[in-house]
Amino acid sequence: MNAVVAIAKTTVGEAIRRKVLLIILLIGALLLAIAPALEALSPRQEMTVLRALTLGVIQMTSAVIAVVLTVYMIPNEIERRTIYTILSKPVRRWQFLVGKYLGAVSALGLMMALMTLVMLFVFLITRKVDGVSELAAIAKVPFAFFVQMSLLAAVAVFFSTFVSPIVNFFLSGGVYLVGTLFDSFFKTLSESKDVPQALKGVAIVIHLLVPNFQSFNVQNAAVNPGQGIQGEGIMYLNLALYAFTYIAILLIGGIIVFENREV
Amino acid sequence: MHLHFVGILAPALLRLEDQSLNLAIETRTLTKTYKSRSGAINVVHNLDLQVEPGEIFGFLGPNGAGKTTTIKILLGVIYQTSGEAYVLGKEAGDIEVHKQISYLPEKPYYYEHMTGMEIMQFYASLFGIKDDDKCRKLLDRVNLGNDMNRPISQYSKGMQQRVGLAQSLLNDPQILFLDEPTGGLDPIAHIEIRDLILQFRDEGKTVFISSHELSDVERICDRVAIINKGEIVAQGRLEDLLVGGRIEVTANNCTDEVAASLRGEDTLVSINHGRMIVDLPDSLSPNEVVLKIQTAGGEIVSVIPRRKRLEDLFLEAVGKDNKAKGRQLKSMVGSTEEAAS
Ligand SMILES: Nc1ncnc2c1ncn2[C@@H]1O[C@H](COP(=O)(O)OP(=O)(O)OP(=O)(O)O)[C@@H](O)[C@H]1O
Ligand SMILES: [Mg+2]
Repeated sequence: MNAVVAIAKTTVGEAIRRKVLLIILLIGALLLAIAPALEALSPRQEMTVLRALTLGVIQMTSAVIAVVLTVYMIPNEIERRTIYTILSKPVRRWQFLVGKYLGAVSALGLMMALMTLVMLFVFLITRKVDGVSELAAIAKVPFAFFVQMSLLAAVAVFFSTFVSPIVNFFLSGGVYLVGTLFDSFFKTLSESKDVPQALKGVAIVIHLLVPNFQSFNVQNAAVNPGQGIQGEGIMYLNLALYAFTYIAILLIGGIIVFENREV
Repeated sequence: MHLHFVGILAPALLRLEDQSLNLAIETRTLTKTYKSRSGAINVVHNLDLQVEPGEIFGFLGPNGAGKTTTIKILLGVIYQTSGEAYVLGKEAGDIEVHKQISYLPEKPYYYEHMTGMEIMQFYASLFGIKDDDKCRKLLDRVNLGNDMNRPISQYSKGMQQRVGLAQSLLNDPQILFLDEPTGGLDPIAHIEIRDLILQFRDEGKTVFISSHELSDVERICDRVAIINKGEIVAQGRLEDLLVGGRIEVTANNCTDEVAASLRGEDTLVSINHGRMIVDLPDSLSPNEVVLKIQTAGGEIVSVIPRRKRLEDLFLEAVGKDNKAKGRQLKSMVGSTEEAAS
């Protein structure tokens, strides 16, 4: 356990110093800060639009960070030969991979927390929320996003054990998009009676394999005040369990590949 | 436990047990094949290495010979295609063995945002060691005591190499794998590291060192293996491998009769206006020659042993199948030696 924690800690240290990530983070924070100025664009529903926009910025920025952070993680260790000094110590490969993953997720969590704080700060000083309860409703959403991005990071770590960073960038990005935008499409397709069997089979496989990222998009309730979620606690718990299961499967898969490959 | 084990199993295992257990490192017909577009290449081929505990073992060979590949197999970070590799009697890559060995890679890199001290703490924690005092002492030992709170990004190459050595000592290892530990270092840093390695031997550690610095290897190693294109071309104790040195005796006032009496199967004699040069193998004693010359009224000018150098052996062994490259190497070795001295 010592080794996993030590590796995770250095991974965080590295990640929060990576210029690319800091630039992405900075862009995200900037967008959050100027978002209120965009209210002029849509005077009618400014509250709704602003909230949707702000949460969207956080989500997109986090997704980019999650992928950029993880696709280079393992390849960099190999290229810089740090992995050799680590694996020649009594460290098992699974410990290395899990440590790296936990470090990535922690760094991601830090960056997302920072963005959330910026968002709340902006909402507070521009008086775009009414009271603490509404602020809390908005602040909850990034937690679901964080779970979603942890899952995305696991997808990227899994792929990084056998594909190059560039390919991984598009693969993981693709999985995220398919899981977010096209999830209901593939679901409908797989349940439809009017499509050819082959196509239906493909749709079922995609629907089963690709994590359902869409279900983490819980922002609607917070964006439209008055739309409460029934059994919110249970929902969050379900999401966490769903993500955790997927993450475990992806990491185990990654470990199996990583154990057998050369570094 | 071993007795029990051996008692039950076949004699074949007996051989394995008693040999591998006594050796620090052993490989048997170790082969590593990489597939490339032009077909499969044996980067390491039928390698049989035996490294005794407590010795400094030099692992030599030209660029691309397969040294780093062999070390990586011994550490279990890559896997052999066939053959066997044992470290401390266990199969390479065994996690228990990793507690007792350490490795300094060629051109190492450390997380640049960390300080020397943090690097030490990080590697210590991989062993489950929590001992800042030990970290500090080791940094002192490699002369980084004053720089331990500076980030690695500000370290020179030599300082990074020394952090590498310090971290490799954290677990008080029985075997150290050093891949070109003096590569790219200035002469002083170089000598410092050489001295450290000698200290390791005094502490009873086994040192497996891959190096292009033949003069260093000659000075510190007990035994060497030279590999070329993945195959061993020479292996043994340095003193056994470097036999065949010669002794040159020069004298004045010599007669042709003395010269004739000294000529022998492997003794070359030349004489010119009474100045004679006798070139004899170092297996013969120069005393006799000197005595003969003196009794005949000759006057000894000098007796100079010309030892066979590791460089000669290297060029002989490696240059066999590639004369042109050998010559090129010779000029390279010559120039690095100049630079180092
Ligand atoms: N992953 C790999 N795939 C294909 N070929 C490889 C791979 N790794 C090493 N090689 C080849 O194996 C050969 C031996 O490489 P190795 O690094 O072991 O040499 P070396 O003896 O350490 O050389 P040097 O003195 O330059 O460090 C080289 O020809 C190299 O190109
Ligand atoms: Mg090498």
